[in-house]
Amino acid sequence: MINGKKVLALLGQPNSGKSTLFNSLTGLKQHVGNWPGKTVEKKEGSFIRNGEEIIVADLPGSYSLSANSDEEMITRDYIASGKADAVCILADSSQLERSLFMLADYAGIQVPCFLVLNLADVAKDQGKEINIKALAEKLSIPVCLLSAPDSKNYESFYKCLDEAFDKKTLLDSAALEKAYEAIEGYSELKSIIPDDAIKGYSSAWLSAKVIEGDKAACEKIIPLLNPESKRKYEAVVAKIQKGSVLTGQCKFAWIDDLLSGVVNKVQKKAEFTKFDKAITHKVWGKPLVILIVIGGLLASFIPALPFMGIGMGISALIAPLQEALLGAGAHPIVTGIICNVVIQSVAYIVQMLGFVFGVTFVFGLLEEVGIMARVSYVFDNTMARFGLQGKSVMPCLVSFGCTMGGAAGARVIDNWGQKVLTIAIAWAVPCGAAWSIIPMLASNFFGAGAVIIIVAILLIMILHMFVTANIFGRILVKKEDRYGMIMELPPYHKPKVGALLRYVLGRTKDTFLRVMKVIIPICLIFWLLSYTATGLPENTILYKIGSFIEPVTKVFGLNWKLFTAFIASSVGKEGAVGVLSALYANTGTIYGAVVGTNAANDIQTLLAVIPKAEALAFMFAITFNVPCIVALAATYQETHSAKWTAIISVYYTIFALILAFIAYHIGLLIWPV
Amino acid sequence: MRNLRDLKVGSEAIVSSISGDARYLSRITSIGITPGCRVRMLKNDKNRPLLIFSRDTMIALNKKESESILIEEVKAV
Ligand SMILES: Nc1nc2c(ncn2[C@@H]2O[C@H](COP(=O)(O)OP(=O)(O)OP(=O)(O)O)[C@@H](O)[C@H]2O)c(=O)[nH]1
Repeated sequence: MINGKKVLALLGQPNSGKSTLFNSLTGLKQHVGNWPGKTVEKKEGSFIRNGEEIIVADLPGSYSLSANSDEEMITRDYIASGKADAVCILADSSQLERSLFMLADYAGIQVPCFLVLNLADVAKDQGKEINIKALAEKLSIPVCLLSAPDSKNYESFYKCLDEAFDKKTLLDSAALEKAYEAIEGYSELKSIIPDDAIKGYSSAWLSAKVIEGDKAACEKIIPLLNPESKRKYEAVVAKIQKGSVLTGQCKFAWIDDLLSGVVNKVQKKAEFTKFDKAITHKVWGKPLVILIVIGGLLASFIPALPFMGIGMGISALIAPLQEALLGAGAHPIVTGIICNVVIQSVAYIVQMLGFVFGVTFVFGLLEEVGIMARVSYVFDNTMARFGLQGKSVMPCLVSFGCTMGGAAGARVIDNWGQKVLTIAIAWAVPCGAAWSIIPMLASNFFGAGAVIIIVAILLIMILHMFVTANIFGRILVKKEDRYGMIMELPPYHKPKVGALLRYVLGRTKDTFLRVMKVIIPICLIFWLLSYTATGLPENTILYKIGSFIEPVTKVFGLNWKLFTAFIASSVGKEGAVGVLSALYANTGTIYGAVVGTNAANDIQTLLAVIPKAEALAFMFAITFNVPCIVALAATYQETHSAKWTAIISVYYTIFALILAFIAYHIGLLIWPV
Repeated sequence: MRNLRDLKVGSEAIVSSISGDARYLSRITSIGITPGCRVRMLKNDKNRPLLIFSRDTMIALNKKESESILIEEVKAV
């Protein structure tokens, strides 16, 4: 119960359709946050059943209830907290035997539950027939078949739910406990471990966990034992070997018994499709994944277009509004803040969000269809070098187009530390905006030498990723959390476009609100710093600060103008050249350049006045600077951590300045002043 | 005895024993690989995880870790 409302918790292995069920039940009434004090994403929502509001909690976790990860610990603690009035355990009917493992691992927990055999449509296509009634009798809990995407046919699901709530149905685990008795030491443990050493967990369940070497369970149990029991306990534990294998065999034997006579035997062949052959191919697999990402990026622009239109529409309002306000006698600063800060940022964010929407949607689609798991397989070895799973390659590739899209795409990574690390290294990938200005600048300044610069940028990018992975990886992905791949490659599923669209729209709205909170203050500060009543850059606060610290920034090869453009490039890279034009050639304003309202860039003037070594320093500085504030905000949105977003930003700023320093001094050797 | 890594593509085997630390054993068990279960090798490429089929499921496994899964080869059905 939470505030007098009934709580339903969803539990299931990956690919059992948990998210689909959660989304169907709650629709848009869902909230994504963090588990208190943890970095694991918490999904909660609600729906109305018989006029009563019911809270749904999506329990995080993977294949079992052991204490191997934060996710699994949260799930266990949640069940122990007694908040859930019923737990809905999901299994995949098309892989029934394996996916019932979660049910077997749950057996012994004294919280009411019911079993949902999802993907019933797929099982039916396999010719599988499951006798639900017989299964329910064996387990003494409600059982139903379900096709989670088919939200019109949820009657039997709701019936099970009602029954579990009303009758508080507990899973019958006697047969499994009987099987455990064959394990040496089990009976002795069971006799000394009290029920409820962890609330809601039977002594049988706890004994099995002790046998499995579950540290979290042992730590809870040991203090409760009297000295004599403790001695016995230690003697038993010392003799146990490969506990998980022993209990695992019992669990699967129990599942076999459960299913015998309940399910007809259908032989399922490995479905290794043509596409699987291609995408897992030794040679062609990786290029194919990259092609898919490029295709996905292009496809992302289609749903992004309406957003861009809206954003431009909002932009178009600014000029008339500005005139009207000034005409009505409003103070220029007030007008500036309303028009240039608030409305301009909203317009900018809406345009950018289109892309976040597109990427989240396309990636969501790839994940749902099952392609993401293949990508993980293909890039496992490559990304393992960074301490990451194979999927992390996707955000990095997307970041060539747009870092913000990369950060948003990191959603598909299910472990928080790995997600943050992925985003941190994806920032090192120069984005589309950098690629649109650097080659142009480089060829103007260095002619054919531009090629060398681009190669250098790519090499530094790789180096940067390694260094960053090393520095942050130690903290974010601990050594003991780095283990080899054990992952299901699910069969391909037809995606539920409608549900996904609704979910992504909800997420985009969330992102919009969060991003606004970050961007408006930053734009406001930046606008104030670059405000000039006379139109001369020398009147801005930016100039005053810039020229004051110039002796320091000069060390990095950046005079105050270049340094200002460098700072501006962390707001938006597209604007960096415009800022230079504004400062060197007086075309447009600094602020206007950054938010994209300045018209012309005056490269010719820049060529004449910026020394080559400084230009070189500047190029490296902006390429590897903080990508842009929208990327920063997206990073905050995905990581839920202001601390880590700040750490990564500061780190990137410093790294960029160090690179500028090196580039500048190399430049001085080539072109001495 | 041979380990899972040695199994040729297209061949089938029965798992005879698994060893490793408690965490590994718990993870490998929860995805359905236990002594006595049947596995079929789908892909065994250099520098890639193994791809096997077991209990109706396609599973990718780290190669190095899979050396601790011992098998007895059987005729494919
Ligand atoms: N045909 C069919 N497909 C389903 C059913 N339930 C879920 N799916 C699909 O299976 C895929 C995985 O479903 P999810 O809901 O993402 O599974 P999950 O358990 O949340 O998995 P994770 O997100 O990895 O935790 C999606 O493509 C769903 O559309 C079902 O009953 N029938």
